[in-house]
Amino acid sequence: MYLSTFFANATPALPEIALLSMTCIVLLADLFFSRLCPRIPYYLTQLALLGVICLSLCALNKPQTSAFFGMFMADPLSSLLNVFICLTSLFSFLYARSFLEETKMPLGEYYTLGLFSVLGMMLMVSSQNFLPLFLGLELQSLPLYAMIALRRSSGIASEAAMKYFIMGSLASAMLLYGISLLYGVTHSLSISEAAIIFSQGTATHNTVFACALVFIIAGIAFKFGAAPFHAWAPDVYQGAPSIVTLFLGSAPKIAMLGFTFKFLVQAMPTLQTQWQLFFIILAVLSMALGNIVAVVQTNFKRMLAYSSISHMGYMLLGLISGTQAGYAAATFYIIAYAFMTLAGFAMIALLSKAGVEAESIKDFQGLNYKHPWLAFLVMVVMFSMAGVPPTIGFFAKLSVLQALVQVDLVWLAALALIFSVIGAYYYIAVIKTMYFDQPEKSTPFPTLPLDATIAISVNGLLLLILGLFPSGLIELCNKVFL
Amino acid sequence: MLGQYLPILIFILLGIVMGVLPILGGWILGPKKPNKEKLAAYECGFPAFEDARLPFDVRYYLVAILFIIFDLETAFFVPWAVVLNDIGWFGFWAMMIFLGLLVIGFIYEWKKGALEWE
Amino acid sequence: MLLETIFFYLFAAGVVLSAVGVVFLRNPVHSALSLVLAFVFSACLWLMLQAEFLALILILVYVGAVMTLFLFVVMTINLDADIKKQTFVHYLPFGLLLMALLAALLLFVLKPAHFLSIGQPIIQDQDYSNVQVLGKVLYTHYVYPFELAAVLLLVAIVAAISLNPRQPSNKKTQNTEKQLYIKRADRVRLLSMPTEKKP
Repeated sequence: MYLSTFFANATPALPEIALLSMTCIVLLADLFFSRLCPRIPYYLTQLALLGVICLSLCALNKPQTSAFFGMFMADPLSSLLNVFICLTSLFSFLYARSFLEETKMPLGEYYTLGLFSVLGMMLMVSSQNFLPLFLGLELQSLPLYAMIALRRSSGIASEAAMKYFIMGSLASAMLLYGISLLYGVTHSLSISEAAIIFSQGTATHNTVFACALVFIIAGIAFKFGAAPFHAWAPDVYQGAPSIVTLFLGSAPKIAMLGFTFKFLVQAMPTLQTQWQLFFIILAVLSMALGNIVAVVQTNFKRMLAYSSISHMGYMLLGLISGTQAGYAAATFYIIAYAFMTLAGFAMIALLSKAGVEAESIKDFQGLNYKHPWLAFLVMVVMFSMAGVPPTIGFFAKLSVLQALVQVDLVWLAALALIFSVIGAYYYIAVIKTMYFDQPEKSTPFPTLPLDATIAISVNGLLLLILGLFPSGLIELCNKVFL
Repeated sequence: MLGQYLPILIFILLGIVMGVLPILGGWILGPKKPNKEKLAAYECGFPAFEDARLPFDVRYYLVAILFIIFDLETAFFVPWAVVLNDIGWFGFWAMMIFLGLLVIGFIYEWKKGALEWE
Repeated sequence: MLLETIFFYLFAAGVVLSAVGVVFLRNPVHSALSLVLAFVFSACLWLMLQAEFLALILILVYVGAVMTLFLFVVMTINLDADIKKQTFVHYLPFGLLLMALLAALLLFVLKPAHFLSIGQPIIQDQDYSNVQVLGKVLYTHYVYPFELAAVLLLVAIVAAISLNPRQPSNKKTQNTEKQLYIKRADRVRLLSMPTEKKP
C-alpha cells in the first residue's frame, strides 16, 4: 500500500486534511518569510479558511460517507456546521489583525493556534467514535487557552487563561469519565455500535448508564457555559482580549452543538426521555441567571458573557423538544448566536484605543454623535440579541419556541418568553446610552481599520438581511436533519 | 508472562534493601551528640542569610515540556518497530505522517531559538 | 494464584499509602516524590493485568518526564510549606464532603454487577506480547486518533514556546566583542551649539 492509497481512503476528510496541511504551511511560512512580509500568516490563514469553506460547501449535498475505518463521517450536518465554523472564524481572525499588530502580539502564533482550534472544532462535528471526538475537543480547547494568555503584558488575561484552563480541564475530565463509563456499559467506542446497543434497551436501565449520562451532560454544559456550570464564562470573557473572546464565544459553540448531537442524538436516539430532564433544568437556570444577572452589569464584556449564558439556555430549548424541527431550530439558533456574538465583541475590539479596550458600557455613551454608522450597527446587534424583529435573533427565538410548542411544552415556551422580556431591558439600555446620553468628554475617536470596518458592516447587515429573508438558512438547517 | 517479571521484582527488592540497610545501620549504630554549632550551615564564618534551596529558572520548564513531547514520540515508536512487518506500508506511512508533524514542530522550536539557553 | 493475590494487595496498599502521602506530606517536593511512588505502584498493578506496554510507558513518560516537570514547577515557584497547610485546612470540610460523595458513588452505583458480561479477564499464555497486539491495531485501525495525537503534540510545542518569556529581562550581560571594537565616534558626539542667553 502506497501513500496514494493511504489518502484515497481518506477523501471524505478532505477539508480537514487540507486545513491541517495549510496550518503547517502557515506555521512554516511565519518562521521563514515573516521578515519579508509580516502579514503572511494572516493572508495564508484567511486563504485556508476560504478554501475549506469551498470544500465543505461542495460536500454539503453529498450523502454521508465514512473514512478511517468508520471513525470519521462526513454528512450534510457536519458539512453545514463546518461551513459556519470556518466562516465565523474567518470573521474573528479578520477583526483580530489590527489589534494584534497594535499590541505587538505574535501574529504567526496567534493564527496558527487559531487554525488548530478550528481543526479541532471540525473534527468534533465529524468524528464517529468517542475517542477522536474527545481528542477533537481537546484540540479545540488547548490552543484557546494559549491564545488567551498570548498577551503576556496583561495580568487579567493570564488570570482568565488560568481559570479557563483549570475549568476546561475539569470539564474534559468529567466528559472522559462519562465516556469511560459508557464504554463499560456498551463495550464499544463507536457511536454507531453504541446506538445499536442502546436501541436494544437492556443497557440503559442500570445505574452505570445514568452515571455516565450525568457526567457527559455536565461536561457538555461546562463547555457550553450553561448554568449552573457557567461560573468560568464571565471571568474568561471579560479577562481575555476581545479578539480572543469573540473567537472563543462563537465558533466553538457551533462545534459543541455538533458534538452534543453526536453524543445524544446519534448515539442515544432512543433515550431522549432520559436526557431531556437534565436539559430542561440547564435551560431554565441559564435563561434565568443569564438574563437577570446581566441587568446589573456595568462592564460591556461581562454583560455579553451573561447574555451568552442566557442564549445557551434558549439554544438548549431546541434540543429539549427532541424533534427534527427542534434540532434544526437549535442549529439555526447557534449560527445566529455566533454572528451576533462576533459583532458584539468586534465593536469592543474596534473601539479600543492603543490596546486599551472600550469594555465599559460608559464607553459607548453618545456613540451616535461620534460615529452614527457604528451606533446603528450596535443597535442592530442589540436588537438581534434581544430578539426584536426584523433581525435574525427574532427568527432564532421564534423557531426554538415553535419546536417547543409542537411537543406540548407550552409552559417552558412561556417561561422563555418572560425571561426574554427581562433580557430586552439591558440590551435596550445600551441603545439608550448610545443614542440619548451625551458623550462624556470629547476624547479623540480611534481611527478604524478599513478591513475591519467593512467586515463589521457586513456582519451587522447580515443579521438584518438574514432577519428579513430567513427562509433560506432555515430550510438549509431543516434539510440536514432529514 | 508474570513469572518473567519475578526476577525483576526480586532485583528491585534487593536493591532497596542494599540501599536502605547502610543508612539504617548508620542511623541506629552511630553516636548522636548534636549541638547548635554542629547543626548550623557552614557558610564561611558568617550566619546563613538565605535558604539553601534557590528557586529554579523558569526556562527549565520549557526544556522539560519539550522533552516530554519527544519522549512521547519515542514511546509511540516502540510498538511500531515491533510490528512493522505485520502492518505493512499502511502502518509505515501512518508513522511517517506522525513523524512529519513532529518534525514541523521541531523546525519551529529550532528556528524560534527554544533550544538555546541564552 | 495466591502469590498474585498477595502481590496485588501489596501494590494496591502501596498506591493508596503513597497517594495519602501526596496530600499529607508537608514539603511539596516530598509530595511530588510520593506521587512518583504512586505511579510506580500503579504500573506494577497494570503489569499484573498483563498491560505490559502501558505499564512501561507509565514509568517512562509519567515517572521519567511528567514528574520531572512537576518537580521543576514546585522548585520554580518555591512553594512555602505553610501556605499548603493553610489552604489545606481551609478547604478540608468541602473536600471531605466531595470525597464522601464520590466514594459513595463509586461504592453503591458502580458495582461490578452493573457492567454487562465483563467476567474474568482472559489470562494470556507465556508468549503473549502486549506490545504486538497494541501495535497491530494502533497504526492501522486506530490511525485516525493516532495522527490526532501528533497534532495535539504539535499544538503543545507551539503553545509552550509562544507562552515562554523570550528574554530574561532582568539580566545584564557584557558584550566583549562590542566593547573591544568600539570606536571613538560611537561613544562621543561633538556638537556645536549656539550659546544661550541667561533668562
